[in-house]
Amino acid sequence: MEEYTREPCPWRIVDDCGGAFTMGLIGGGVFQSIKGFRNAPSGFNRRLIGSMTAIKQRSPTIAGNFAVWGGLFSTIDCALIHVRKKEDPWNSIISGAATGGILAARNGVSAMAGSAFIGGVLLALIEGVGILFTRLSAEQFQPQPPVFEDPTQQAPSGGLSFQ
Amino acid sequence: MSTLNDSEDIYTSNYGSADQNAGLAGSFKPFSSPYLNYDPVYIPASQPEYIFLDGQNKQRGRFELAFGQIGASCMIGAGIGGVTGFYNGLKATTLAGQTGALRRTQMLNHIMKKGSSNANTLGSIAVIYSAFGVILSWARGTDDDVNTIVAATATGALYKSTAGLRKCGVGAAAGLGLSCLYALWNSREKLAELRQFNPARR
Repeated sequence: MEEYTREPCPWRIVDDCGGAFTMGLIGGGVFQSIKGFRNAPSGFNRRLIGSMTAIKQRSPTIAGNFAVWGGLFSTIDCALIHVRKKEDPWNSIISGAATGGILAARNGVSAMAGSAFIGGVLLALIEGVGILFTRLSAEQFQPQPPVFEDPTQQAPSGGLSFQ
Repeated sequence: MSTLNDSEDIYTSNYGSADQNAGLAGSFKPFSSPYLNYDPVYIPASQPEYIFLDGQNKQRGRFELAFGQIGASCMIGAGIGGVTGFYNGLKATTLAGQTGALRRTQMLNHIMKKGSSNANTLGSIAVIYSAFGVILSWARGTDDDVNTIVAATATGALYKSTAGLRKCGVGAAAGLGLSCLYALWNSREKLAELRQFNPARR
């Protein structure tokens, strides 16, 4: 598989939207298949049919909600990068909160505040875990003092290593 | 090491050994940084490095393009659905004689409902198509128009697979037709060459 790197900024929105949609469709499909299986009338065949119906009806909706979240998040992230001229965890946290707020805009101010808070906390957690992992894995990449062994010379000349 | 400060110089202590500087007179030393002046032996040749040219067969893989395609089709669906919903909402609210805040809310409802349903449909089709395309290109090891046509046909069949055999066939035919059109458009240069081919001329 090719190396997967993030797209540059305006196209990142499309990419994130697609990734979120895929995630929502697959995740929602698994979730709804279980839910439809459990809630169907008895009989294995009926359960399978119920599972199938639930997947068809609900998983695209879940995927669409995910896609809207991902697209809006990425849009605000790119705008913040453009305005602040830097990329740091605060960008993600701010755009998470703003996305939560904007998407709850039709439900009133208190719902907006709650959603914004949840979005910000969620993204802060994600960014925090990311930073934690970077710190932990940075131990492996500590700079080693370089050892120059000259393969062209058989005998070490002694005391000439570059420190 | 002819002079005293030779061994103290950081740049020449390693690499500018005595036999290299033998022909140079006195205290003159050529500048040589340890970062610039190195033997190719030092570079580990463990993995090969690839540079893909434009116009060559190997370009970005299907998996790399998949999320972008899904996102794009989702957004296009949302746009088309939004416009359709706006038009429908305008017509419905005018017919019902709704004005003011009621009309605004109804318009928003129409736009959101139509836009999201269209986006979901197009996005789901794109996800299924991308999944088929990625699996095919992995299984066959190549990425060409055959993959596109087979993936699109399978997508059409699968998307309508629960609606009865006839609709399933219609979906497959739609996928086949669209992908064939795309494949023809994609290889239009080859076709143009073929059309200008003159058997009488050698």
